[in-house]
Amino acid sequence: MKILVPVKRAIDSNVKARVKSDQTGVDLANVKMSMNPFCEIAVEEAVRLKEKGLAEEIVAVSIGPIQAQETIRTALAIGADRGILIQTDADPEPLEVAKLLKAVALAEAPRLILMGKQAIDGDNNAVGQMLSALLDWPQATFAYKIELSPQVVRVTREVDGGLQTLELDLPAVVTADLRLNEPRYASLPNIMKAKKKTIDVKTADDYGGAGAGHLKVLRVTEPARRTAGVKVENAADLVARLKTEAGVL
Amino acid sequence: MAVLVVADHDNAQLKDNTHKTVTAALALTSDVDVLVAGAGVTDVAAQAARIAGVRKVLTAESEALGKQIAEALSGCVVPLMGGYDAVLAPATSVGKNFSPRVAALLDVAPISEIVEVVGADTFTRPIYAGNALETVQSSDAKRVITVRATAFKAAEEGGSAPVEAVDPGPGAPATRFVSEEILKSDRPELAAAKIVVSGGRAMGSAEEFHRVIEPLADRLGAAVGASRAAVDAGYAPNDYQVGQTGKVVAPQLYIAIGISGAIQHLAGMKDSKVIVAINKDADAPIFQVADYGLVADYKTAVPELMAALAAAGK
Amino acid sequence: MTYQPPLREHLFLLRDVLAVDRYAELPAFAEAPLDVIEQILGEAGRYCSEVLAPLNGVGDRQGCAWRSDGAVTTPAGFKEAYRALVEGGWPALGAAPAWGGQGLPSVVGLAFSEMSSSANMAFSMYPGLTHGAYSAILHGGSEAQKALYLPALVSGRWGGTMNLTEPQCGTDLGLLRTKAVPAADGSYRISGQKIWISGGEHDLTENIVHLVLARIEGAPAGTRGISLFIVPKFLPDADGAPGARNAVACAGLEEKMGIHGNATCVMAYDEATGWLVGEENRGLALMFVMMNEARLGVGLQGLAQGEAAYQAAAAFARDRLQGRSLTGPKNAEGPADPILVHPDVRRMLLDARAVLEAGRAFLFWTALHGDLADHPDEAVRQKAKDYMGLMTPVLKAYLTDRGFAICSDAMQICGGAGFTEHLPVSQYLRDSRIALIYEGANGVQALDLVGRKLAADGGRAVMSFFAEIDAFVDAQAANETLTPFTEALAAAKARLQEGTLWLMQNGLANPDNAGAASTDYLHLFALTALSYMWALIAKAANARIAAGETDPFFANKLVAGRYFIERILPDADARLAKLTSGSATLMAYPAEAF
Repeated sequence: MKILVPVKRAIDSNVKARVKSDQTGVDLANVKMSMNPFCEIAVEEAVRLKEKGLAEEIVAVSIGPIQAQETIRTALAIGADRGILIQTDADPEPLEVAKLLKAVALAEAPRLILMGKQAIDGDNNAVGQMLSALLDWPQATFAYKIELSPQVVRVTREVDGGLQTLELDLPAVVTADLRLNEPRYASLPNIMKAKKKTIDVKTADDYGGAGAGHLKVLRVTEPARRTAGVKVENAADLVARLKTEAGVL
Repeated sequence: MAVLVVADHDNAQLKDNTHKTVTAALALTSDVDVLVAGAGVTDVAAQAARIAGVRKVLTAESEALGKQIAEALSGCVVPLMGGYDAVLAPATSVGKNFSPRVAALLDVAPISEIVEVVGADTFTRPIYAGNALETVQSSDAKRVITVRATAFKAAEEGGSAPVEAVDPGPGAPATRFVSEEILKSDRPELAAAKIVVSGGRAMGSAEEFHRVIEPLADRLGAAVGASRAAVDAGYAPNDYQVGQTGKVVAPQLYIAIGISGAIQHLAGMKDSKVIVAINKDADAPIFQVADYGLVADYKTAVPELMAALAAAGK
Repeated sequence: MTYQPPLREHLFLLRDVLAVDRYAELPAFAEAPLDVIEQILGEAGRYCSEVLAPLNGVGDRQGCAWRSDGAVTTPAGFKEAYRALVEGGWPALGAAPAWGGQGLPSVVGLAFSEMSSSANMAFSMYPGLTHGAYSAILHGGSEAQKALYLPALVSGRWGGTMNLTEPQCGTDLGLLRTKAVPAADGSYRISGQKIWISGGEHDLTENIVHLVLARIEGAPAGTRGISLFIVPKFLPDADGAPGARNAVACAGLEEKMGIHGNATCVMAYDEATGWLVGEENRGLALMFVMMNEARLGVGLQGLAQGEAAYQAAAAFARDRLQGRSLTGPKNAEGPADPILVHPDVRRMLLDARAVLEAGRAFLFWTALHGDLADHPDEAVRQKAKDYMGLMTPVLKAYLTDRGFAICSDAMQICGGAGFTEHLPVSQYLRDSRIALIYEGANGVQALDLVGRKLAADGGRAVMSFFAEIDAFVDAQAANETLTPFTEALAAAKARLQEGTLWLMQNGLANPDNAGAASTDYLHLFALTALSYMWALIAKAANARIAAGETDPFFANKLVAGRYFIERILPDADARLAKLTSGSATLMAYPAEAF
């Protein structure tokens, strides 16, 4: 079985995003970039499925600037087998990403697409669902547990207040949530091996082209900053203020 | 302009998120219909009909809709969109699950988790875990939107909209419901709670976390949260995690106990209306966002707080 | 704030300052182009900051525990972290491919070691000493010994130790008493007591390979009668798996000021089975192969603790609101300004940066010469070996002296909070202190420099260092943006040359003059080397800026470099004045008056 894992290069999760003073976006110049954490979880899960003998090949695909090759290298070091970079300096919207991934899926014909539930930059939480809809393949988002067999995949999902288990016919699209696994650190031997694996660098035109955007970003602003409030004397003072001043008790 | 709101419910009760999403929809137009898609939803539809400002309630029923399967929901909503300019759903695990599908099938860009309606085609939404707010203008003829319910006031009760059944759509033939395990807790759900009490690494152990945090939460009728540090240390289960990679909460009152206030935790709670921090380190970053700070060891402060709440009749 | 790996600094040094891509023809570098090095260090940095750093305080508070049966337990979490280290393949980084290593450049290994040492010095000593044992067997062991021990040491499955010190013999190994009696099967029976053995016993590995200095019965007295032995905790069976328990045991742990997470053991050898490494009575020479490597590693510890302490102090200075800027409020809306506005706080922080950045460059630059020791060109090889010998004592002593001083300044910046155990700086200060002492106290390093390294091969090493600096200054004469740096470098080199000349004239006539001058000379040497490093850094930063780079990272290098010239390099004058004052006054004070 082949598993396709889309991976995104995004701001490192330990870096605090800072809004540009001209309000055109978030300042990413010289900011540490890493693989989006949810994508990393998806790669880890795919590798675990392969280690269990349930998959033969893992293909990591990324859409982004040439530096996204590093993100694919990271996936290869965790255990993916080969990579595809659809190189673009534009920042495609989720709909365009989903369309490009659909074209990749039709060309690669994986039985499972395993991807992160959302990227921590745009926070859209949309591409997996859209890809599933465009391909008309069943979907299971927010995966907490995945049991794969040759014809179906059983996915336990994180839903508000608990867990829901679904069974999907393959091929299918599954998106990973935080608790699905704890991604391993890439080992040194695997980093060295990864450098011999291939990454095909393609363009959007190779996959039918990228469409025009549907959304125009008018401005990006900093959220109202909270300011430090008052220090209270003791618990009784606190309760009194919460009741009278704040009115939240 | 007409807008469809997809209701949040569990086939028995309509959830408050629906009222809040209706408020967002009413900012766009006065022609707001509510779709209650599920199984055995007559009561829910009646509850939806009472929301003030709702023009009409639609019901769609099938087994797959009863389980809120995403494919079934999008299959039900898309054919209805001929009559609407926008569809809004609360950004719950259900809303996030099906909405982008509707967008893809309509070939439009989804707009996720809006916190403000700026204009008919312009919306503000948090990005980068809330460290930035993006205002976007859609060029699509139809808008598919999820709504961060905590950012909107609930619409009032008092309406009496007519209820009408619609075609439930084709269901989800390739997706089968197997089981669900909804946590039975007397405490409110973390993401929806009005009050959240969270504990940090200062608790030192899982036992201490239970002993200190939970009774306080129960006295306040609050949900329990935890910092990532406390979760990583094994003091609290992972689904308690409030933060960038955990749950984003915005309750009326957030009480952080023994939490230093790492960036990643602040990202998950800084939109709370009132933040209280109890920490013995006066320099802890949490105090920079707290409305009320109590510099004290939680070991003495929490029992005192319990006593003060009792004295205040809470 | 937790420790952040200085990945950008490492990559800037490797890519821009040292331009390691010019060595792509060497096997170690062919394996690791810069993008791969970046990935390796990125992943290593995650391991260090996410796994090791959180255990640093735990190790400090818990320490190691000894049981009366000799077993030693490391602090909570160390076992799991060690397992992750081995699973990550990190111990193999710089080791030879023939024994399962990755064969990567030692300069890459150094960057890893810096991060692991900053994150958790006590922990990082366990694999550090294993690497020392690996080197000794690699250089001196028989083929059979290599085959038996090296793969297990390279993978990290087995640990290694160095056993030199005995109660009566520390720096002066000639006093060593542990004895080795030949057995019929060609092995030896080792008996005696060793003390201060780092990692002598622990629960991290399935076996521990002790490298023990001992005197074979009938061997000459003094340092010429010392041999080196392999004494494994468990005797390897026919398949090389750990077999019977050897008669070596940990008799207790030392209570100490710092590095609590590392087991500092008293080791009792009671007719333990050991095997000779190399030739009889040639043990000390072999041990010095290991020692030289270890000394670079200790210099690195000084740097690493300084870096970690600097980071903690800088974060504190940014956040701590106290008082107002002398030139008017800088945080008018807040109750006070961050203490970073105060010139004297900045002085301490910039002292640290100016020394750390150039000190790291000096260390990497030297380690790179170590990588060139296998260069096809004989002249490059010779210079590489000369430099390794010359620079090692300078790096060990200077970086540990300054590293400790930086930790102390970091505590000063943090004030009362720094003195309490709420912040990590008190641990950095305590942990870093040993580095001035072990692997040859810093005074011994200074003596090694003036007594041995300067004079070796007729002063060839130091002459070639002077020539290299002259050539650099000449070549950059027309480079006006670099003038402040080349002028400072030329002046520093002139002072060092003057000090060297004075030593040659006065040290031979009266060896106490050399001894009295040694520490000041070593610091003068280091200040000159750091001037050279700042010139190289400035040149690299200028090149980026000239190419249109607007990232303040590069402009900031120039500011830190100017700070070095204005506020640290002047110490060189004082060092020269002190060293040329000779030993007369120093020796005139009567012994009974102390």
